[in-house]
Amino acid sequence: MDIIGFLGLGFSVALDPINILYCFIGVLLGTLVGVLPGIGPTATIAMLLPITFSLSPAAALIMLAGIYYGAQYGGSTTAILINLPGESSSAVTAIDGYQMAKKGRAGHALATAALGSFFAGTVGTLLLAFFAPPLARAALNFGAPEYFALIVLGLLVSIALAHGSILKALAMIVLGLLLGMVGQDIYTGTPRFTFGVRELYSGLNFVSVAVGIFGVAEILRNLENEKGREVMVKSVSNLWLGKEEFKRIIAPVIRGTALGSVLGILPGGGHILASFASYSAEKRLSKNPEEFGHGAIEGVAGPESANNAAAQTSFIPLMTLGIPAHPVMALMVGAFILQGITPGPNVINDQPALFWGIIASMWIGNLLLVMLNLPLIGLWVKMLTIPYRALFPAIVLFACIGCYSINQNVFDIYAIGFFGILGYVLIRLGCEPAPLLLGFVLGPLLEEHLRRAMIISRGDPMIFLERPISATLLGLALLAVLIAILPSIRKKRKEVFVDED
Amino acid sequence: MKKTIATAFIATLALSGTAFAQTYPTKPITVVVPFTAGGPTDTVARLVAEVMSGDLGQQVVVQNVGGAGGTLGAGQVATAPNDGYTLLLHHIGMSTAPTLYRSLPYDPLTDFATIGLITSVPMTLVARKDFEPTTLEELLAYIKTNGENVTYAHAGIGSASQLCGMLLMESTETIMTTVPYQGAGPAMTDIIGGQIDMICDQTTNTTTQIQAGEVKAYAVTSPERLANLPDVPTAKESGLDLEIGVWHGLYAPAGTDPAIIERLETSLQAALTNETVIARFAELGTAPVTAEEATPAALTEMLTSQIELWRGVIEAAGVYAE
Amino acid sequence: MLAKFSLRDILAGGIFVLAGAYFALEALNYEVGTPFRMGPGFMPLLLGTVLALLGIGVAASGWEKPDREKPLPPSWRGIVLIVGVIVFFGATIRGLGFVPVVFIAAFASAMASRLNSPLFAGLLAVGLTVLCTAIFVIGLGMTVPWFGPWLGQ
Repeated sequence: MDIIGFLGLGFSVALDPINILYCFIGVLLGTLVGVLPGIGPTATIAMLLPITFSLSPAAALIMLAGIYYGAQYGGSTTAILINLPGESSSAVTAIDGYQMAKKGRAGHALATAALGSFFAGTVGTLLLAFFAPPLARAALNFGAPEYFALIVLGLLVSIALAHGSILKALAMIVLGLLLGMVGQDIYTGTPRFTFGVRELYSGLNFVSVAVGIFGVAEILRNLENEKGREVMVKSVSNLWLGKEEFKRIIAPVIRGTALGSVLGILPGGGHILASFASYSAEKRLSKNPEEFGHGAIEGVAGPESANNAAAQTSFIPLMTLGIPAHPVMALMVGAFILQGITPGPNVINDQPALFWGIIASMWIGNLLLVMLNLPLIGLWVKMLTIPYRALFPAIVLFACIGCYSINQNVFDIYAIGFFGILGYVLIRLGCEPAPLLLGFVLGPLLEEHLRRAMIISRGDPMIFLERPISATLLGLALLAVLIAILPSIRKKRKEVFVDED
Repeated sequence: MKKTIATAFIATLALSGTAFAQTYPTKPITVVVPFTAGGPTDTVARLVAEVMSGDLGQQVVVQNVGGAGGTLGAGQVATAPNDGYTLLLHHIGMSTAPTLYRSLPYDPLTDFATIGLITSVPMTLVARKDFEPTTLEELLAYIKTNGENVTYAHAGIGSASQLCGMLLMESTETIMTTVPYQGAGPAMTDIIGGQIDMICDQTTNTTTQIQAGEVKAYAVTSPERLANLPDVPTAKESGLDLEIGVWHGLYAPAGTDPAIIERLETSLQAALTNETVIARFAELGTAPVTAEEATPAALTEMLTSQIELWRGVIEAAGVYAE
Repeated sequence: MLAKFSLRDILAGGIFVLAGAYFALEALNYEVGTPFRMGPGFMPLLLGTVLALLGIGVAASGWEKPDREKPLPPSWRGIVLIVGVIVFFGATIRGLGFVPVVFIAAFASAMASRLNSPLFAGLLAVGLTVLCTAIFVIGLGMTVPWFGPWLGQ
């Protein structure tokens, strides 16, 4: 059978009414759960795993996949509306999305996210259908040195996340890297910075840090002066994108999709970089970089597309090699096994109907999502008319319950409080939280891959330069630093002559 | 604080005692799996819990309390009320934790009541597919000559693959460079990608890769060859003393009513003869234990002997988690 | 003299220096190792030092750039109540159970806003308790008792 025949087979499975129904249930649940702050796809899939026992393998896996990419969708909704990212990817969306919402353009931000995600989802699915096996092979060329180089590049490029002081942004990244190292060292098992608390051995929970530093800190800021400042704009202008906006988002969406697709394939953590990298790229390429951080629509379009493309392509290593790229994919492995299918290189041959059915359902799922979400935008935006004084207690509660539900670990809840205060203080002092969060998710990876590369090379740092991919990536990183420094040197020169005040 | 509450509970429950056990269970039972959802142990737990729910007439809910190499979840069950509504499903790590963790807040032998063994998942010795040696004998000779230039991956401190590696190095008196990973998935990725030389891991993670020819298999660590890997010899056949299985057991907090333990034991034994469980276990490359092994006595014996065994191996290797 | 400084930059720099120093000093308690076999202390020591240096840089960058606007005073009531609620939630969720904890937490956090009357907070707390119980405990099957062991259940 050729690819068209396989896709035909896939669609015949995916278009089965029962499977469409479960696909819909999956994306609906995913959207709803993604919208609830704190609860991410990992917790939801874990909680719903038992329900899928009674379903056919195709229906079960279609539904679980739907929850995953549905949650990616829903997560951006909360990030935009109330500045509460549930995942590392939506932390980037929160930067400009929330600013847009504050300016009464929540509808535009949500529509951009939905359309960008749909486009990215479609491309990601096509890549999965046509090139999954060779792409997965190519990704295997990435070993520890390549991942280390990629993360270094990602960190240096993402200085662009900041719209204020570069020095402060750098410090926040490093602080995030350090916070990411809390917990048991994976190489020796030594507990680090845990104060002897066993609950901290597995590290700080990402959701706690994100919810604290974005959500709680924002609430504390809004409580500063409740009467003097309108927290949320009640009147929301038109929901739909105008011609001008369409023009502005096309290029970022395409670039974001490309970046996200490539990074999503890498099983060692590439997907984490997708939205951050796209944001940095858009800011660099924009003619008005100063708009970023104050509600630039490109800052929503790029990262959201990148994120969703990566969400789709991160299925490639799983479906073709049985390799889970991240915790959600590990859960999917569990779901496969519970259904009596062990994911691995043979699934594509042994279970063609299932393999192609899931791929076809992903496109249908994305279509359902866009159909579901565009009308919902009106509803979400209406949510903003709920007075803030009634909304914020709900946010605090959802955050606590959501974090607790992931691991039943009360320290995850205390961490929300701690990071709420830390975030509040730092934001008041002019530091932005996004770089810290990026450092936090990349810190453990950076250390893991660096140390592994050094062990494999037996202590010879030349390994980073001898391997062509890592050498290229490090070269790009150097270039990124030069580009970042040059304009500021130029500016400094000007400042010497022209007094700002 | 927690201890006092737990003690207060033991007191109240002791009063209601046996009368309580006759109607047990009256509410959903929680089985704590001390690892994140989706892993092999979680899968075993979910399969068994599903069938036990039907037998007990109450939902048996799997709860993942991951962290600190499984000691966090186990510690939580150790101090949970011993009313039969909080159980622990743990693997071989139950017996290695007392040696690996020098400040373990619980004692596996005295803080738990055993219910029964569940399964013992065999392990396989595999390497990247372009790795030079083709047989186990060649592999051992290769390791002897190349020593630390051979890289051995494992899935983290206290993982089955780390234990197997220690055992392998001990029994062959060799030293390889061990490279820890965060879980079996990433480790297998690097084996398939040829970034690293070898690993000894559970069949759950390796069988499909072996069958697809993505990795080279040298031996299984079970006493006999496996049905779905008939071409892979046992370690013993090649003269290597490397027998290790990732055994799983079900526990309740110490002091649980014997009548409740008995009820759970019967239910576990019933679950292990269930066709779906047998079929799914077979796909994982394993089989449920016999009814005689799914008993408190058998699990206690296993636990006691394994604690001793691993104390020796781990102390010889000098590898600790804290 | 001090008016010439940006207080915000000095404070931010100070936090970074302190945090960096903490991580670096604490890392000395762990094995630092060699570049080949980096110990658990290697990266934190390195990064902690870098953070402290960056902190000094941040503080220095505030030289002769006094803050232009005075920030709003923090809402101490908000901080105490919100953080208090979070700690309360963590400390009592296992003991008191879902329903009482959510109710009390919702009420107290609503009171963090000066605009909310106790009556409104009470009504909101009832509504949120019902909503959260329906979504998380009933809908998502979260394993947590409705009323916990401290209440004699």
